[in-house]
Amino acid sequence: MRRLSLSPRPDWQAQVERLGFAFHTIEGETYWDESAAYGFSLRQIEDDIEAPTGAIEQLCFAFVERAIADEEIMRRLAVPEAQWQLIRDSWQRGDRNLYGRLDLAYDGKGPAKLLEYNADTPTSLFEAAVVQWDWLEQAMARGLLSRGCDQFNSLHERLVAAFGQLREPAPERMHFTCVEGSAEDKGTVDYLMDCATQAGIDARFSFIEEIGLLADGRFCDGASLPIEMLFKLYPWEWLFREHYAGALATSRCRFVEPPWKALVSSKGLLPYLWEMAPGHPNLLPAYFEGDPRCAELGASHVRKPLYSREGANVTLVEGGTVRDSDDGPYGAEGFVLQAVAMLPNFDGNYPVLGSWLVASQPCGLGIREDATPITKNTSRFVPHFIEA
Amino acid sequence: MKRSTQIGLAAVGVVLVASYWSLSGGETDDSLIYSNVAECRAGNQLSASQCEQRFNEAAANHLREARKFGSTAACEQEYGSGGCQSAVWNGAQVAIPALAGIMLARQFMAGGGAAQPLLPPTSSACPPGTRQPGSGRPECEQPARSASSSSSSSSGYYGGSSSRSRAYTTTSGQAMVARNISSTGMASTPSVASRGGFGSSSRSYSSSSSS
Repeated sequence: MRRLSLSPRPDWQAQVERLGFAFHTIEGETYWDESAAYGFSLRQIEDDIEAPTGAIEQLCFAFVERAIADEEIMRRLAVPEAQWQLIRDSWQRGDRNLYGRLDLAYDGKGPAKLLEYNADTPTSLFEAAVVQWDWLEQAMARGLLSRGCDQFNSLHERLVAAFGQLREPAPERMHFTCVEGSAEDKGTVDYLMDCATQAGIDARFSFIEEIGLLADGRFCDGASLPIEMLFKLYPWEWLFREHYAGALATSRCRFVEPPWKALVSSKGLLPYLWEMAPGHPNLLPAYFEGDPRCAELGASHVRKPLYSREGANVTLVEGGTVRDSDDGPYGAEGFVLQAVAMLPNFDGNYPVLGSWLVASQPCGLGIREDATPITKNTSRFVPHFIEA
Repeated sequence: MKRSTQIGLAAVGVVLVASYWSLSGGETDDSLIYSNVAECRAGNQLSASQCEQRFNEAAANHLREARKFGSTAACEQEYGSGGCQSAVWNGAQVAIPALAGIMLARQFMAGGGAAQPLLPPTSSACPPGTRQPGSGRPECEQPARSASSSSSSSSGYYGGSSSRSRAYTTTSGQAMVARNISSTGMASTPSVASRGGFGSSSRSYSSSSSS
């Protein structure tokens, strides 16, 4: 694994915009950053990223099996009791999931360590699936990288295939939703709708705020069309607590991601994984705050709210002092403490590896870099390649 | 190989929409016709996101159903200069008539049917000479095309001048002249019990709802 400094394409904005990439620059700061790229060996990708990602996903399935039968776990994960049956049903019915992203700390040498699992509402998908793919093709064409390079990235093909298999027979119509006002979220949903369309699905969009409830108990879109299958880039822990929460179970709607993903998208997953597979080379020791075993973590640890996005409310404590923290609105549902896996430092840049799963198959990598050891929503997306 | 062998983006191939037809003399009062999202929004019959949704859906149907030409030249022979766009279909580069607008049947407003794509007028309906201003066939006139392109994300469809009437071709090949937007209200949908029951959490958190 190495970090290369490269000259960006002189017209890189136009190049990525031609793909429909609208948020390459966020609030005036470069988000898509091709002034650097990470190179990996094929062995590093297959043995250190791909295989552990698949193994962790299997462990997560075992955890879901356990959690749906254990009320204490459901409580510990702060899932409202009224939603337990919805979650159980979605798992037992075999509701398929579409995608997820494991965030890993990896320096090219030791085993990758799981920081967290964005199982419910991951973004940075379009840039990983399409923009860095196109970047690599052009980098090889320009002679910046040798012709035989590759990339761990079959996301696009897998997504189109996965949409076709979401339900048998394949759904004819599917709705997509996200909040209004986030270019990043809307861009992610637009891309997924494009993939669904290519899978032959009639994809329709409504903002989450526009969703309505029909007299017969079904949800409807802004045009009052009933929603039978809904992709929601909107977290389950919010859906579970909002005005329509009581209508979820009777809506006859299939959700993507399915309700059981709520169990693995919580940071509360981390202590349970460690408990189920203590000493696993790809896991970090983790405990719920207040658990006496937290003492085993010593004076250095990371404190994370059960629900948190983009690094919000995460605190890095080193030798008993706070080294880095991010403010935010989360934490009411409790915290977990996790051992520190220091992100590798490449010339003052701290990369986090986003290892993607589509329909539970590991199939892609996206790297986000920050200038501090906690990845925030200010991080930059940096492309990667597999050395020839 | 660890990467995708090809990436087709319908949004880029298809939703590049030039809108051009303008002006004069129309009929159709049983449908709502919009040549672009801005016009749809301005019509105040549908919400902004409904407009976008209708155009997205029409663009998707359009890509599926449109006649595929091997070259832009062949396509333009049928639909006139500037009346075509390139697209990727089953991995192959093709030319298809541009999505010149959408038509919503009244019945759609009440809950049924999909937005129907509309194509530029064919050369038999609007021969080349009639596409210039002053030809006496204002519905065939082609305003200066904006060169911009965009993805399917918001306001990606753009339009030229708003308009009185335009010539189109329907997907079944019929020539049609449409007056822009009739003003009757949207059919009521009494079966909706409520709206807005989701989305409140996102307003109380400053950070993103995704990760």
